[in-house]
Amino acid sequence: MQITEFQEELLSKAIDAGFQEAEVYYERSESFQCMIFEGEIDSYETSEEGGLGFRGLYNGKMGYAYTEKIDEDSIPFLIDSAKANADTLDEDDGSDIFGGSKDYSTHTFYSEELAKIQVPEKIELIKSVEKKVLAYDPRIVTLNYCVLQDFSGERILANSKGLSLKEKKNGIVIFISAVVKDGEEMKTGSFIKVTRDFGSLDADKIAKEAAEEALSYLGEQSIPTRRYPIIMRHDAAASLLATFTPIFSAENTQKDQSLLKGKVGKKVASDIFTLLDDPFHPDAASGSNFDGEGVATKTRSIVSNGMLETLLHNRKTAKIDGVKTTGHAHKTSYKSTLTIAPLNMFIAPGEKSQDDLIASLDNGVLITNLAGLHSGTNTISGDFSVAASGFHIKDGKISSPVKQMTIAGNFFDLINDIEEIGSDLHFRPGGYGSPSLRVKELSVTVD
Amino acid sequence: MIKQSVIENVLEAALSNGGDFSEVFIEDKYVNRLELQSGKIDKSISGRDFGIGIRIFSGLQSIYTYTTDFSEEGLLRAAKRAAHAIKNGTNGTIHPLRKEMVLPIHPIEQMPQNVEHARKVAVMRKANEIARNYDERIRQVGLRYIDEEQHVLIANSEGKFVEDTRVHSRLSIQATASDGVEMQTGFYGPGAHAGFEFIENLNLEHYAGEAARIAITMLSADECPSGKFPVIIDNEFGGVIFHEACGHGLEATSVAKNNSVFANRIGEKVAPDIVTYIDDGTLPNEWGSLNIDDEGEKTRKNVLIENGILKGYLIDKFNARRMNAEVTGSSRRESYRFNPTSRMTNTYIAPGTSTPEEIIASTENGLYAKYMGGGSVNPATGDYNFAVSEAYLVKNGKIDRPVRGATLIGNGAKTLQLVDKVGNNLAHGAGMCGSISGSLPVNVGQPMIRISEITVGGTKGE
Repeated sequence: MQITEFQEELLSKAIDAGFQEAEVYYERSESFQCMIFEGEIDSYETSEEGGLGFRGLYNGKMGYAYTEKIDEDSIPFLIDSAKANADTLDEDDGSDIFGGSKDYSTHTFYSEELAKIQVPEKIELIKSVEKKVLAYDPRIVTLNYCVLQDFSGERILANSKGLSLKEKKNGIVIFISAVVKDGEEMKTGSFIKVTRDFGSLDADKIAKEAAEEALSYLGEQSIPTRRYPIIMRHDAAASLLATFTPIFSAENTQKDQSLLKGKVGKKVASDIFTLLDDPFHPDAASGSNFDGEGVATKTRSIVSNGMLETLLHNRKTAKIDGVKTTGHAHKTSYKSTLTIAPLNMFIAPGEKSQDDLIASLDNGVLITNLAGLHSGTNTISGDFSVAASGFHIKDGKISSPVKQMTIAGNFFDLINDIEEIGSDLHFRPGGYGSPSLRVKELSVTVD
Repeated sequence: MIKQSVIENVLEAALSNGGDFSEVFIEDKYVNRLELQSGKIDKSISGRDFGIGIRIFSGLQSIYTYTTDFSEEGLLRAAKRAAHAIKNGTNGTIHPLRKEMVLPIHPIEQMPQNVEHARKVAVMRKANEIARNYDERIRQVGLRYIDEEQHVLIANSEGKFVEDTRVHSRLSIQATASDGVEMQTGFYGPGAHAGFEFIENLNLEHYAGEAARIAITMLSADECPSGKFPVIIDNEFGGVIFHEACGHGLEATSVAKNNSVFANRIGEKVAPDIVTYIDDGTLPNEWGSLNIDDEGEKTRKNVLIENGILKGYLIDKFNARRMNAEVTGSSRRESYRFNPTSRMTNTYIAPGTSTPEEIIASTENGLYAKYMGGGSVNPATGDYNFAVSEAYLVKNGKIDRPVRGATLIGNGAKTLQLVDKVGNNLAHGAGMCGSISGSLPVNVGQPMIRISEITVGGTKGE
């Protein structure tokens, strides 16, 4: 059954079945992934998939259902399930189906050039990366991941109010993890990049970056457990920001799950801290011209020089707070109900280089990687206590890698304690970005 | 789900360019998810996942493709796309399919798909009430209910043809406590490979009560000090530490390529005599249990470490080739979207002889981790980290004040050597484990154990 045909039939049958409004969200994608081990293709994966999410207003309540089986039988399944789900909800929660924004940006998230790159060329690139990493230094013993993945897809949002939006997207990801060994000491270092520009993937540069990252952790030393001034490298800072993003969601403030409740218009961070969300940032891989409800997206400042300008809203939370939606309705996939999330949220860069930041500390710690963020953080209290890798900074210079550490603190305190922001803005694959940050101090425990 | 003749054609098309093994995995899964927040059911979604994964082996190369297009043309196109990765081969052989019957060792009484939402909601409301009424400082209770009914069909070029149904039910309870300044949370998430009977028979007073009690306890907890201490980890979900610290290192995924500290060490002493570590997918109706794994192999009890000696690994069909070893019924995948590989099911430390009271009484100064949060490990190095969700200081053989923000770090192989007490109160806890073949239900388990020294990271400093 063709998708447009299925979609039309579903919407019209839904209205016949008593839904006041209804919406269809369809995603289709293709992907290719290849993993190399010792010069050979270790795994080779391809896919072609599609799935459809339905939601509709039934007796004033929004019912959801989804299917990956697009056939005649799925129409009654979707309609009956969505009805039962609407009936289960306790009350009209203020959700609705959106008729459409006046104007939409026309940014493109799809590269025709990238789509033309053939499989052998991609395999050659990733094989060459492995070879170059292994040749870089005798202490590099193996690559425990050496993967190239590309994807392309399309999403369609159409509803009974006449809205019909469509967007294509593609990209390519390289992920490398090198294992280095020196005597008994064993370390890993990784490299990850997502891009739509195949030409920007230079095997020599990637190999050098992954190899040097791994090698840099050899020769670890212990330093005393205490509070240290911290430089949080851009990638570690962006992963911490990503973990604490729920605090900016209006859904969470409205449910007493975020301490930013009642803080709009107030100072919540250091004067130099500005947080932006730019759905069209050229360096970031995610992005979109419309959000999960079909609202046009815009570049917005969330925190401006320490002042909370807005929370992230969808139409429902905006109605409750008496403001306009910020276009942050989010659908993780057609399987999900609507939540709230930013597109490419990042901390605005400052002036100084990472080296300048390091040079400004006499006795501090450079944090380059965080682990256990899913378990060692509490987005409600803001507390975190997570495993970290990094380096000891002495007299303005990196002196040695440090044995496994934990760093502990509170995110709300941390954004107030940012003393300097670097110029080295980088985005992570998930769309979060940050420059390196100098933070007054954090509690550091060394293994 | 799909005609046998079509499956045969797909298995054949997959080997049309060569290769020595092909497999089809068909999945049809119904899911219901309900959420309660602020006393109201505010999310309810149902869905159907349906797709097909096709796998080919050609020596030490593994090719995987999946599709949601279930038409014969769609499936053959996918099989040929995968076959395309093999060059210059001759056609592989297909054995006639022989239907195998699965002996269901995890009986399901009430298929959740046939239970109306109202009964599921009633349990959620009751749990909400119990947690709310625990203490007036409980400000928010979040409940998530999920049920899944997964039908799978696995067929391969060796003639295997087997179908199975897996049913998972879980209720997760999160309580948030506040005294006006601080906010703390408590969590409990019981789950089983069982139907709605599991949810209806849950001891809600215990689970919802504990979630609320943890949140309240943590509200008045001190900051955790940092340093190296003996650490006592209680039973049940406490077993997560060995799941991360050594379980992942025993999976063929890391062992086959020598990316594990446990590689090539069968027969060696890797832990003290008191440590026996087992993975058992046959435990009746446990969260990580299965009748057959995702390659159609019967699950079994695999002894990994026996009295401190390394006995075995968890091995899937593909890695068995590289390792020249037998499969262990441990191959798993989140869905048809994932190439299956060796994963844990229900993994636990076997009970010892010490009573919990003895263990605590014999600890002069240390940390008692009553409930563990999650953690992660770098399988190549074995470096791990864990959050402790409810911790206490131990002073002079007695449990002292609660502390919060404790994180444990260390190295799996080294920590394993430092186990110096194993209790007699084995219990299992449900969790989700994320790795290369996706997110899977697993049980972690242990009796109370003591580790003579772990690095504890806290906010308070030394």
